[in-house]
Amino acid sequence: MRDHRLDALQEELLNAGIAPQNVKRLIIELNDHLEDLRLDEIARGETDAAARNMARDRLGDLSMLANQMRQRDELKDWIYRYPAIARIYLPLVWFLLLPAAPLFAGLAKPAEAMRWGAALMMSAGLTALLFLSMQLAIALT
Amino acid sequence: MGQSNPPFMSGVPELLLLRLLDQREMYGYELVKAIRRVTEEAISLGEGVIYPVLHSLEKRSFLQARRKKVDGRTRVYYSLNAEGRRHLRRLQEDWQRIQTGVTTALDKPAGA
Repeated sequence: MRDHRLDALQEELLNAGIAPQNVKRLIIELNDHLEDLRLDEIARGETDAAARNMARDRLGDLSMLANQMRQRDELKDWIYRYPAIARIYLPLVWFLLLPAAPLFAGLAKPAEAMRWGAALMMSAGLTALLFLSMQLAIALT
Repeated sequence: MGQSNPPFMSGVPELLLLRLLDQREMYGYELVKAIRRVTEEAISLGEGVIYPVLHSLEKRSFLQARRKKVDGRTRVYYSLNAEGRRHLRRLQEDWQRIQTGVTTALDKPAGA
């Protein structure tokens, strides 16, 4: 049983900065809860359509639930909890780490880095050889 | 079923959830049914509102959650840990203190 109100709730919570893993789990739980409620109502003799409506009513006002989620900072993504870190310190750290980027890339993919390094050295060697040949030719003439 | 009374409900769902989870591991729907049973339907919650409370308790390290597949559906079971038990004791003490204070105030004649 998929309640389309849950799609809207999911979007609202993500826009409010609730961590995606918390939103995902909440939606799974609410879906499961709705299914339990529907089965409960059917067991009491309701038709499937009536049971769905009653299940939605019993689950309650989803805007209130969204408000409760929004009020709890601990459920938010860390970027929203620590905006100063996200907006000031993190870019600074990345900027300082930028010169070390080739090293990190080499550590992440050592085989490719070795090939790239070898190609670079060969290229530098070839350039040096051409330069020396040119110098020799100039000297001889 | 009793009417919901949000102005007086602050902290009550948290206390009830911790109390129930102190007994055994449960999932959301099970907890709602248990709240209704133990309060003899005096407390009525919009059933979805327990989830923000559960998530918050877990984030504050009072609960542990684990997913379990049951009949092809994913259920999240919650259980209380040692820190959660300590938190429950504190909340119970606070609740008893407030309850005693309010009862005393209500028992006194008006203007006393």
